Amino acid sequence: MKAASLTTWLLLSEWRARFVQLIVAVMAIALGVALGFSIHLINTAAFNEFSAASKSLSGQSDLQVYGTRGLFDESLYPRLAQYEGVKLANPVLEFTAIVPDKLESRNNHKLRILGIDMFRAANMSPDLLGVPAEDKLMDGLADDAIFLSPAAKEWLQVRQGDILRLNVGMQSIALRVAGGLTRARAGQRVAIMDIGAAQWHFQYLGLLSRIELKLDAGVRHAIFKEKLQKELGAQFFVAEIVDQEARVANMSRAYRVNLNMLALVALFTGAFLVFSTQALSVIRRRSQFALLRVLGFTQRQLLRQMVMEGFVLGAIGSLAGLAVGYSFAALAIKLLGGDLGSGFFPGIQPSLYLSPIAALVYFFVGLGVTLLGSILPVLEAVRARPAVVLKPGSQDSAMERLSTPWPAMICLSAGILSTQLPPIHELPVFGYLAIALLLIGGISLMPRFAVWAFSFWMRIVNGFISRGRLNAVSLMIFARLANAPNQASIALSGVLASFSLMVAMAIMVLSFRVSVDNWLEYVLPADLYVRAADSGNQGGFQSVEQQIMTALPGFARIDFFRVQQLVLDPNRPEITLFARPIDNANPGNTLPLIGEMMEQTQWPKDSRPLWVSEAMVDLYGYTVGKQVMIPIGNMLREFTVVGIWRDYGRQFGAVQMQLSDYQMLSNDLSINTVALWLQSQTTMTDAYATLQQLPFSDALEITQSQAIRAKSLEIFDRSFAVTYLLEVIAVVIGLLGVAASFSAQTLARKNEFGMLRHIGVTRRQILAMLAAEGTLLTLLGVAIGFMLGWAISLILIFIVNPQSFHWTMQLHMPWSWLILIAGILLVSASMTALTAGRRAVSANVIRAVKEDW
Amino acid sequence: MQNDRYKQYIFIALILLAAWLAFPVSQLLAEGPRYKQVVPHYDLTFPQDYGAHPDFRIEWWYVTGWLETSEKKPLGFQITFFRPSTGHNPENPSQFAPKQLIIGHAALSDPAVGRLIYDEKTARAGFGLAYAREGDTDVKLDDWYFVRSPDGSYTTEVQADKFGLHLTLKPSQSLMLQGKKGFSRKGPDIEQASYYYSKPHLQVSGIIRHQGQTLTVKGHAWLDHEWSSELLDSRADGWDWVSVNLDDGSALMAFQIRGKNDKKLWAYAKLRDANGHEILFAPEQVEFIPVRTWQSPHTNATYPVEMRIRTDKTEWRLMPLFDDQELDSRSSTGAVYWEGAVTVFRDEQKVGRGYLELTGYVESLDL
Amino acid sequence: MLELRYINKAYAENRQVLCNLSFALKSGEYVAIMGESGVGKSTLLNLVAGLDKPDSGEVLIEGIEISRLDDEAVTLLRRQVFGFIFQAFHVLPHLTLSQNIALPLLLNHISDDRVNKMLAEVGLQGRGDHFPRQLSGGELQRVAIARALVHRPKLVLADEPTGNLDPDTAHDVLQLMRDEIKRNGASGILVTHSHAAAATADRVLILTKQGLQPAEKVKSI
Repeated sequence: MKAASLTTWLLLSEWRARFVQLIVAVMAIALGVALGFSIHLINTAAFNEFSAASKSLSGQSDLQVYGTRGLFDESLYPRLAQYEGVKLANPVLEFTAIVPDKLESRNNHKLRILGIDMFRAANMSPDLLGVPAEDKLMDGLADDAIFLSPAAKEWLQVRQGDILRLNVGMQSIALRVAGGLTRARAGQRVAIMDIGAAQWHFQYLGLLSRIELKLDAGVRHAIFKEKLQKELGAQFFVAEIVDQEARVANMSRAYRVNLNMLALVALFTGAFLVFSTQALSVIRRRSQFALLRVLGFTQRQLLRQMVMEGFVLGAIGSLAGLAVGYSFAALAIKLLGGDLGSGFFPGIQPSLYLSPIAALVYFFVGLGVTLLGSILPVLEAVRARPAVVLKPGSQDSAMERLSTPWPAMICLSAGILSTQLPPIHELPVFGYLAIALLLIGGISLMPRFAVWAFSFWMRIVNGFISRGRLNAVSLMIFARLANAPNQASIALSGVLASFSLMVAMAIMVLSFRVSVDNWLEYVLPADLYVRAADSGNQGGFQSVEQQIMTALPGFARIDFFRVQQLVLDPNRPEITLFARPIDNANPGNTLPLIGEMMEQTQWPKDSRPLWVSEAMVDLYGYTVGKQVMIPIGNMLREFTVVGIWRDYGRQFGAVQMQLSDYQMLSNDLSINTVALWLQSQTTMTDAYATLQQLPFSDALEITQSQAIRAKSLEIFDRSFAVTYLLEVIAVVIGLLGVAASFSAQTLARKNEFGMLRHIGVTRRQILAMLAAEGTLLTLLGVAIGFMLGWAISLILIFIVNPQSFHWTMQLHMPWSWLILIAGILLVSASMTALTAGRRAVSANVIRAVKEDW
Repeated sequence: MQNDRYKQYIFIALILLAAWLAFPVSQLLAEGPRYKQVVPHYDLTFPQDYGAHPDFRIEWWYVTGWLETSEKKPLGFQITFFRPSTGHNPENPSQFAPKQLIIGHAALSDPAVGRLIYDEKTARAGFGLAYAREGDTDVKLDDWYFVRSPDGSYTTEVQADKFGLHLTLKPSQSLMLQGKKGFSRKGPDIEQASYYYSKPHLQVSGIIRHQGQTLTVKGHAWLDHEWSSELLDSRADGWDWVSVNLDDGSALMAFQIRGKNDKKLWAYAKLRDANGHEILFAPEQVEFIPVRTWQSPHTNATYPVEMRIRTDKTEWRLMPLFDDQELDSRSSTGAVYWEGAVTVFRDEQKVGRGYLELTGYVESLDL
Repeated sequence: MLELRYINKAYAENRQVLCNLSFALKSGEYVAIMGESGVGKSTLLNLVAGLDKPDSGEVLIEGIEISRLDDEAVTLLRRQVFGFIFQAFHVLPHLTLSQNIALPLLLNHISDDRVNKMLAEVGLQGRGDHFPRQLSGGELQRVAIARALVHRPKLVLADEPTGNLDPDTAHDVLQLMRDEIKRNGASGILVTHSHAAAATADRVLILTKQGLQPAEKVKSI
C-alpha cells in the first residue's frame, strides 16, 4: 500500500517535472491512433456504404445469376422463373447512360439506371421502386418515365416533371422525371425505369444484366447453386450475396489495406517518439532509480512503476486519439467524401459508424505501442547496479545494452528476407513487415552510425586541437556527438522514422507519377479520342458511322476500339476487354509491353493472340504462352497469351486482342471509341470543326489526349493527397519528437551548462553549441533516413505496389523535393534545438552546479 | 415508409378503380391508346368470347362460391383474375413492355377463423409466365391459373402462403348472358357498359389447403366474365353487387351503382329459373336496402353487411356467413372492399347461397 | 586583487543574505570561508565570479568593477581570471581527461601545451585519453583541479570541493589543490564546512550575519 502510494507520488512529481515532453509523447500517440482510427472509420464507413448501396440495388435475393459477358439473353428469365425450387425471379437490366449536360466532367458523366419489373422487384428489392406523383400513379409503368434518387436529382438538378436528356448511341432521348425512389441511401446516385421501357429506349431489347432469385423455403442454397451453375454452363455464373460482398471487398481491399498500413506507420512513428521520451526520462532518472533501489525498492516495483507510467501515457494518448480520430473522420468524410478523393467508392455518401470493437483494437494498439516504447529503456534501468549508476558519465552507458548490433542486424536480415516472400491473400503483408523491420533495425543501428560518423570528425578535430586552432565549442560538440551516441540517436529516432517514411513515400509517389505519365503518353498516342454512348450491348458507332469517320478529311490515321467489360471469375471485379488494331509484328508499337513476350513466329496457328495486363498474370495466372478461354460473343474462345502490358488504369485486369479477331468471333461490328491522328497541316481547331459537322456530332464525346492526360494526373494527385497529409503529419510528429528530446536533454544537461557558464563559456557559445549539435545530428539523421527511405521506397515500388495493385513501375528520384524537405528539416531541427537551448542559458543553470543530478 | 410503399402499389387499385370508375381514365390516358368500345347489339360468340379481349381496357374472370368440407363445414371462396391494359406505348417491342397486367385476388371465408383469408398477385403479361389468352378461357399468373377445358369445365389453382385452392368447376346449366344479350349497362350513359356473361350453378370439387390441412371440398360456384373500356359514371362512388345460386336451380344477379350520398345512379337485376326463363328488371325496379351495418376494425369503413334487395315485388334478404369478410390490402395493392359469402332468404325461408360485394365504402378509395 | 565594498544582496522574499559586506583578498592569498548553511557562502562566490549581481555595493577584480559589466564581458573576464572547482566535479563525461582540462585553454585561445604538464602535476600522467567514467571521485576532482588551473587563473574558487570524497582522499585533494594554487601563483577562496579542509588555507574567515570575520575572533565569541 505504501509502496503503491510512493509510486504514485514519484510518478506525479516526475510528470510535473517534464510536462511538455509528456504532452508531446501523448500527442504523438494520440496522433498515431487518431490517424489509424480515422482511416479505419472512413474506410469502413465508405466500404459499408458502398457495400450496402450495392446490396440495396441487388435486393434481398438468395442467389443472383449473371452473364460472364455482362448482358445476356432474356430467355433465361422465364426459364429461371419456372425452375424447380425458385420462388421468385427478378429480372434486372442495369446500365449507365451518358448525361450530355455532364460531359465536361469526364469521369463523372454517367447515370446508373436500373430497369426493373416493379411487380417482381416489389418482393425482392422494395426500396428500388419509383414513387410517382399522386395524380400520375401509372408512371411506374410508363414508357417515358424515369425515377431518380435524391442524390441523382440533386446532381442532375432536375425536379419531378422535368425532362431529362440522355445519350444512347448516336441519339439523345428525353425522359420525364416521374418521381423519387421509395428509399435510396444518402448520396446514392441511381435511377429506376420500367424494364420494358429501358430495354426499348436504351436499345437493350432482349437483354438482361442479372436475374435475382429467391428460393423456396427448405431449398439448400449451396446444392441448388451448384446444380444451377452446372446447368447454365460457363456463359453464366450463379453468385450468392456473400460472393458479391467479396467482389465489392476485393475491389477496394488493396486500397483500404494500404491506407491502414500508412496509418499504422504514423502510429509506429509515435512509438519511436514514446521510446525516445521515455528512454531519455529513464536516463535522467537513473540516479533516482538507483536511490530507490538503495532505499529498498525491488526491481519489480521499479519496473511496475515504469510500466504504469507507460500505461497511463498510452491510455491517455489512445483515448485522445480515438476522439480526435473520430472527429477527423467525420470532417474528412464531409469534406473529401468516403474515398478521400481517390475515386474508389464513387457515388455514395457514407455515414460514420463507431464500432466499439474497432475502437478497442485501436486503443490497445496505441497502448501496446506505448508500453513497448517505454518498457525497452526501463529494462536496463531496472537491472542496473545502483553503485555504478551513481557515478558521473554512467548516463551514457545506460543505453549500451540497446546498441548491441545483433538485434538490429537480425531485424535487417529478417526485413530483407521478408521482401522475398509472396503476398498473403493478395496483400503485401511481408512487404510491410519488411518496412517495419528495416525501420527498427536501421534506427537501432543509428548509434553505431553516429559513432562512425562523428568519430571520424572527432579525429579531424583532434588534429586541430594539437595545432591550437580549434575552439572549445567545436570540441564539445563533436566530443559529445561522437562519444554519447545513444542519447543523440534516441533524440533522432522519431524524426528518423518519419523522415525515412516520407522519403520512401516521396520516391514511391514520384516514381509512380512519372511511370503513369510515361504510360499515358504510350497508351494515348493519338491526338483525339472520340467516343459515343453505348447503345445496348453494342458500341455507339455502327458500320455506317465508322465509314463516315474513316472518310473524314484531315486525319493521318484513324483507329477503332471496341471496349467491353467481362467477368472471368464471379468473385472478382470485371476485367476490361480491348479489341483494337494491333501490329502483330511489332505489338510494342501499340502496347506498353513489358517483360517476356512471344514473337509472331512462335504463335500457335490454331489460336489467336491475346495481350494481357500485369494484373491478369497475378490474378488469373495468364502467363505468356498460356492458352486461355475468353468469352466472346456467346462462347468461350481460345486465345494464347503472347505478351504482357503495363496498365495503371485497371487494377482488376484487362486484355487486348485484335479488333479483327473480335469481330470475326462475335459478329459485333460496332465500336465505342475512335482514335484520330491529325495530319501535320491540320490544326486542332480544324479537327474539331470537322467533327462538329458530323450529323451525329451531338452524341460524340471528343477529348484531346492532352486533356485526358492532365485529368488523369489530376486524379492521381488527388488520390495521393491523403498520403501527403499523412507524410506531413508524420514529419510533424517527428519534429515534435526532436523538440521533446532536445528540451529533455537540455534539462538533463543543465549542470553541464552551469559548469560551462562558470568556466567562461558565453551564452551565445552555448546556444551555438546546441544549434550545431542539433543540426549535425539532424544531418546524420537525414542521411540515414534518406538511405532507409530509399530502401523502403524500393519495397514500396517493387513489392507493395505490384502485390497490391498488380502493376510495376520504374524508380524515379524526386531530388529537389527531397533536398527541400531535408533543408526544412535541418532548419527546423536547429530552431528546435535553439528554442530548447534558451533554458540552458537561463540564470538557474548556474545554480545547477550545486545539484547532484 | 409504409405509406410510400402504399403509394406505389395503390396504382394497381387505381387501375381496377379506373376500370370501374370512368373519371381518371381520360386523365391517365390523354395521349394513350384508344380502346375498343362496348356497343349494343353485339353477338357474343363462344368459345371465342370465353377468352381474353386485350383490345378492351379491363376484363375479369370472377368466381365466387360456397364449399363444404367432408365434415359439412361451410366455407366461402373467391378467385378473381383481372386483365387491365396499362396504356404503355403499344409500339414498345420489348417483351417486358407492360402493356397488359394480370392481377389475381383469392380469398377464403371460414366462419371458424372469423375474418377473410386472402392473397393477391400482380405481374405484367409476358414470357409465358403471366397471360390471359384469346380464344378460350386461359389465364395464368405464375403458379396461379384459371383454364377452361374443351369439355366446358374450368380448372383453377391458387397457392398462397396461407392457403391454397385447387378446384374443378363443372357447368350444370347453360351460360347466362347479362343485360341485353350480354350488353350490360352500368349507368345512364349508353357508353357506360360492359360485355358480361355469367355461369351460375357450377359444380365445384377439389381440394383446399387451409390451416395446414388439406381438405377435400364440394360446392357450388358462380362465374362472371366481364370486359369493358369504360364502365362507370364519373359521379359513381361505388357499387353493391350480389350473385345467388338459388336452391331451386334459379340464378339471381343484381347490382346498384351508388353516387355520392349513397344515391342510386343505376341498378340492374336478372333472375333466371331452372328452365332458363329470364326476368330482366328495370333500374327503378331494383332496390338495395341496408338492414345492418358493420364497422371494420381494420379500415373503419362501415359496410351494410345485411341487405334487403327488392326486385320488383320480391324481397330477398342477405345474411353474411360472418361479418368480417373485408379484403383489406392497403399494405400491398391498396384495394379495400367487402366480398363475402351470404345466405339468401325469401319470406324468411332460406332459398339459396350467394356472394355479396360492397365497394366504395372506404375513404381512401375516393382517389 | 579582489575587493568587495559594502555588498548587499537579498532574495525575493526579503531574505537579506549579505549585508554591508566588505572584504579584500591579496594576490597569492589562499583563504578558507566557513559558515552555517544558508548564510550566503555560495551567494558570495557567485558575486565574486560575476555570476550574480549585488543589490548594492561593488565587486572589484584587479580594480575592475565587474557588477557594472554586461554578461558577455563578465564571461570573458571569468574565463581568463577564474578557475572553478565544484563539489560534484562537473567533469564532462563525453570528453577525455585531456579535453576536459584543455577546455579553459581553448576558450582563451591559448595553446594546449600545458595540458600534459597539468595531468602530471595532478598525478594522472598518461591517462589523458581516458574518459571520466573510468575514474574514481578523487581522481575526478584532480582533473577538476587541473582544469581550474591550466590557464593560470588569478583566482581559484572552490565550493566544498571535498564534500563528495572520503577523508583520506579529501586530504590528498586539498593538499594538491593548495599546492597547485601556490605553484601557479594564483589566489584562492575555499568555501567549506570542514575545519580540516579550512586548515589547509592561509587564513580562515567565518561568514556570519555580521559579515566576514577571522575565525579566531568568532571562536572567541
